[in-house]
Amino acid sequence: MSAAGRPLLRLTLAVAVSMLLGASWSAAEAAGPLDQRGAAKAVTCSACHGVAGNSRSAAMPIIAGLDPAYFKKQIEAYASGKRLSPEMEPYAKQVLDMGVDDVAAYFAASPRQATPITSPADSIARGRTAAAACAACHGPQGQGDAAKQIPSLAGQAPGYLREQMLLFKQDRRSPGDPALASAKALMKTVPDESFADLAAYYGSLR
Amino acid sequence: MRALTRRAFLRATGLGLGALAGGTAAGCTSSMKGDIAPKSGPRVVVIGGGWGGATAAKYVRLYDPKVEVVLIESNRQFISCPFSNLVLAGVRTIDSLTMGYDGLRKHGVRIIHETATAIEPDTKRVRIGEGYLQYDRLVVSPGVDFQLEQVEGLAQNQDKVLHAWKAGPQTVQLAQQLAAMPDGGVFVLSIPLAAYRCPPGPYERTSMVAWYLKTNKPRSKLIVLDANQNIISKAALFRTAWQAYPNIDYRPASRVIGVDPSTREVRTEFDRIRYDVVNVIPPQRAGAIAVQADLVGGDKRWCEVNHVTYESVKQPGIHVVGDATIGLPVPKSGNIANAMGKITAACVVSLINGQAPPSLAPGNTCYSWVSDREAIAVVNAYKIEAGKVVQIEQKLTPAQSPLVAQRAIGWTQSIWADVLA
Repeated sequence: MSAAGRPLLRLTLAVAVSMLLGASWSAAEAAGPLDQRGAAKAVTCSACHGVAGNSRSAAMPIIAGLDPAYFKKQIEAYASGKRLSPEMEPYAKQVLDMGVDDVAAYFAASPRQATPITSPADSIARGRTAAAACAACHGPQGQGDAAKQIPSLAGQAPGYLREQMLLFKQDRRSPGDPALASAKALMKTVPDESFADLAAYYGSLR
Repeated sequence: MRALTRRAFLRATGLGLGALAGGTAAGCTSSMKGDIAPKSGPRVVVIGGGWGGATAAKYVRLYDPKVEVVLIESNRQFISCPFSNLVLAGVRTIDSLTMGYDGLRKHGVRIIHETATAIEPDTKRVRIGEGYLQYDRLVVSPGVDFQLEQVEGLAQNQDKVLHAWKAGPQTVQLAQQLAAMPDGGVFVLSIPLAAYRCPPGPYERTSMVAWYLKTNKPRSKLIVLDANQNIISKAALFRTAWQAYPNIDYRPASRVIGVDPSTREVRTEFDRIRYDVVNVIPPQRAGAIAVQADLVGGDKRWCEVNHVTYESVKQPGIHVVGDATIGLPVPKSGNIANAMGKITAACVVSLINGQAPPSLAPGNTCYSWVSDREAIAVVNAYKIEAGKVVQIEQKLTPAQSPLVAQRAIGWTQSIWADVLA
């Protein structure tokens, strides 16, 4: 029978450790994938955001490895309708009902895998040039700054990035949020047709 | 039902002879009898490899690799019902919705491409032909079967009057019938009374057939005979979308009771309507195995389950997921089946390990296409309250748009992987 990947390895290690310590099977189970903080509560998220938050599609954002404070702010913004999304508003309320801190902790602990969506090289090249202005906040490699709740853009799903840039430009994402003012001002100077290039570039970063 | 031969079983599961107790030489063509694969540890058997069953099988293995999982599914490939209305309209190919089960095998799921013929709850056995498999817990994800007897003329004309309500050969055949229909022809679509698989599906089909006709056969007409009193899902959004399709003649409260291919007529309680191409979506009930195993309720159609563990209220140790269930305030959708599969996997693993099952609610994201490039969506969030699933909120997209369609594509890519990869 083939191995089941990382969870199996984790469990195998847990079993080995528990055997060394003479612990029972139930103690070994405590280290199983289901007993990670928030894992069970995050069970519905994978339908769109991928297993452990690593979306493999262009339109759905990767939420693995997100800073917990940033994650929580987004869930609260979706639930209150500040961040408009008919898809996310109900789910955000569900997450708040279950306990957002647990779910945030689960995704923060999940290793982020870059998007598998590839973009044409010329689009990436144009995006690299256009991205100079973004680096001031998001960093030279799009890595973001968790302390300032500025998310990493590197390896993010390009379709999602493109849609968010459009929402920023039209001031339809969290209107009035002072933390987003500079990003929105910048996006207003970017022609719509450059969004795909910027998204391609940031999606390609590792 | 073809008897399961030892060779077929070995081929289907990749098991070596060593795994079969008391096995005679491979190549024996007589029917398997007795225990097909004796259990060596805790085992979950899953019947049905659709959205609910495939997800449950995968996640039991992810959550506890020491639990053996055997999935029984007669089809060798998974074909997605979501997006299959795009195949009817020629916007996508059936191949783009067709996937194999190798991803599940990589998680250590053993797959038997056969039909489970019976369940024996007292001895915890699933019958396959003349053999059986033992289980500690059973997950049944039987999907739906059609109640052909509800429409006169349907049972004896299944090759001519298509349902195309299980994505596969019929989807392709109906697309061919539509493409071959002369311009000026009449396409009749019949919608059964709720509950049936995919509440907005018939209205998405209406939109996509209307779009196809408007684009390719502008003198043609689509008559929709809906047994329900009104559009039962995303009604305002579909009504808005249909303003672009004057070729739709939508008739609510019109239950089709008969069909006659020799005269090309369908019959409602009040009317006879001539067609060039007909698509009758028949009334439905839980898949046959659920009826055989007495998992269905007094209505003889659907299965009542515990809202937290999805254990049958009638048969302990047997969990039912997906479209076959009833009593939860959730639609019969692929997304719900996927959520039920994961929640059930978490509960089954907990129960096998002597732990209390988690209390988790499902969620539903449901996209519908209204043209070749635009879609709409409805999303439902739930919580568990006093042991029951309760809706927190339902939200619709404000309007149809290409952006929603892009997210619909993203949803399929993510959820197909969640089910199968």
